[in-house]
Amino acid sequence: MEKPNSNKREVPLTALKAGESGVVIIIRQGHIRRKHRRHGHIIHRSLVHGITRDSGFEKRLVDMGLTPGTKVTVVKAAPFHGPFEVLVRGSRLALGRGMAERILVEKE
Amino acid sequence: MNKKKLLIALAGNANVGKSVIFNHLTGLHQHIGNWPGKTVERAEGTLHFKGYTIDIVDLPGIYSLSTYSLEELVSRKYIAVERPDVVINVIDASVLERNLFFTLQLMELETPMVICLNQMDIAKSKGVQVDVKKLEQLLGIPVMPTVAVKGVGIAKLLEKAIETIEKKQAKPPQVTYGEEVEEKIGKIVEKMKNVHLVYPARYVGIKLLEGDEEIEREIQRINPQIVDAAKKLAGEIECIHGHCCSTVMTSERYEAAGCIARAAQKLVSPIKPTKVERLHNFTTHRVTGYLTLVFSLLLIFYSIFTFGDYTSGLLSDLLYALEPFFASVLGTGFVGQLLWGGAMEGLIAGITIVLPYIIPFYLILYFLENSGYLSRIAFLMDNIMHKIGLHGKAFIPMMLGFGCNVPACLGCRIMETQRERLLAAFVVTLVPCAATTVIILGLVGDYLGVHWALALYIVDFVIIFALGRLAFKVVPGEPTALIMEMHDYRWPHMKTILKQTWFRVAEFIKIAFPLIIVGSLALKLADVLGWLETIASVLSPVTVTWLGLPAITGITLIFGVLRKELSLVMLAALLAPTGLASMTPVQMIVFTLVAMLYIPCIATIAALFRDFGWKKSLFITVFEIAFAILVGGIAMRLLTLFM
Repeated sequence: MEKPNSNKREVPLTALKAGESGVVIIIRQGHIRRKHRRHGHIIHRSLVHGITRDSGFEKRLVDMGLTPGTKVTVVKAAPFHGPFEVLVRGSRLALGRGMAERILVEKE
Repeated sequence: MNKKKLLIALAGNANVGKSVIFNHLTGLHQHIGNWPGKTVERAEGTLHFKGYTIDIVDLPGIYSLSTYSLEELVSRKYIAVERPDVVINVIDASVLERNLFFTLQLMELETPMVICLNQMDIAKSKGVQVDVKKLEQLLGIPVMPTVAVKGVGIAKLLEKAIETIEKKQAKPPQVTYGEEVEEKIGKIVEKMKNVHLVYPARYVGIKLLEGDEEIEREIQRINPQIVDAAKKLAGEIECIHGHCCSTVMTSERYEAAGCIARAAQKLVSPIKPTKVERLHNFTTHRVTGYLTLVFSLLLIFYSIFTFGDYTSGLLSDLLYALEPFFASVLGTGFVGQLLWGGAMEGLIAGITIVLPYIIPFYLILYFLENSGYLSRIAFLMDNIMHKIGLHGKAFIPMMLGFGCNVPACLGCRIMETQRERLLAAFVVTLVPCAATTVIILGLVGDYLGVHWALALYIVDFVIIFALGRLAFKVVPGEPTALIMEMHDYRWPHMKTILKQTWFRVAEFIKIAFPLIIVGSLALKLADVLGWLETIASVLSPVTVTWLGLPAITGITLIFGVLRKELSLVMLAALLAPTGLASMTPVQMIVFTLVAMLYIPCIATIAALFRDFGWKKSLFITVFEIAFAILVGGIAMRLLTLFM
């Protein structure tokens, strides 16, 4: 189900800058845990795979229109690691950063 | 004329103007309560039209009919079980695609429907032209355009709804999925022949494929084989598409919604930043956004407290002027004292909170909510709220908590899950409300200086932060994140704001007043019978030995449960003739600290009880008393080292 991250254009939504768009590929299961931070760099990231098939929040994201193949445009991110403002299907959504990190998109 | 009863349900996304339509239809004949056993609000109203008595139920604003939130579950159960004669689906013409996605799900419940295409004016100003006839034709459901804030089209909408009922119009047309999905739905429906649920068989088939927990549970009870078969079929779909089955089906639904939206709407003017767009950018900007937020909050609190203080004083003077009259009628004996000092003073306490503070607070809150600013606040505050394990939306009840903890506790309903509601409510009860502010400023602020008062606030924020994090760790459940639509700014409908405020205030009165009055009666009784001294001495190991306070504070802190600032007012009276000045600085700080933390007042406990049951409310209450005493004692010992 989950493709290896071979394609360089396949990035988490959080990697997009303001004004950039991408097409949703998949919503990653589980959550990313940041283990250490040094000099502002994340040196270890591990993807914890979820056990449940679709946890509530994934379903919620999909229900809000972030289905695979949907175009998402990042409008901006709130400062200090805040949420993302995105345009999806003609409406404006606020997505917490943890959520946005789990959405894999293909950069346009 | 024969009086026939009809039942109409209003359903739709959040912020589509559903409550405005509800208010237009029902006027003041409405009743707001909770769904049985749920912390989900239920608004009902009645109206009379063409000889019918029509009950209207305003379902919560939701985006889907899954089991993600309590609201979604409640809504779909209501439609399936109560079978309204017609469901009016309110949709926002300016965000057609997202709204139609919900419409398609409603259609699957197979109840007769009418679509109310609202906010035609906003759509027009955004350059979206919707072809009503075309939309009607594509959906196979009657569509009525409206501009609810101006009352345009409401009467016609109602007529259409009645017409749909009278014509006994069949269920809405089926939404069809891709071939491979349809085939699987068919297989499940086949198996369901002898199974009868409140939900239509096709709906059950769809939901089983999606892995819907509630439906799975119900079918499991009746025939577990069906669930197993459905799981296998869902697996096949997953193999074909490479996504989980519910995602596949949601995608197809969105696909269908998108097709209908594109066919029925025409985008005329090029999308350029409009006035609302510029306002949005300004209020969510990394610099101007926060400046606006701070400025608005300061302005709101300053004006509410100034207005509240003035009006509260005025009202209390006015009401206390009745005392001689009461005394002359009831005498100053046992009964007279009880009735005035107990019941009447309790009532006065209630009135002087509600009119000056609660009403303006709700007015402003609903103005901000309906205009769209609250969602921007949640956006800006999300990262800060995450530090205590909650997300941006939780800032709104917290903000309310500075005014009064009661509406703040009730306001925790905006959180999605029961866990988040409880966490938010717990944090909210620690926020210093207006009454606590009176104690902080009136005692520490007046006698020790503003910097000490400020320090106490900071201590409180640190405690909120620490306990919030702790509760987040202790209460089991999934961590949460913000997923929220930010609709365009709009000028709110004033009548709706007034009505929402009115119903909230009525709710507050219903929760708080009986308790305040009974409580103050009970305390007055204890006073008249001369039990207060005994109580004070029973409590003295805590108050005198551990906290180092005058014994009399035991009594005043008990009175504070009724209404927090009462503990200060009484203390001043009981410490006469020297008054509060006879306390040492350490005593003042410790007393304020304890009063600030020790218990949500009786009305707050009632509000907690209403939404979370007695176990959790009792736990929060006992915990906070113990915590306040602990912190107070430690503070006393630390402060005596320095002061």
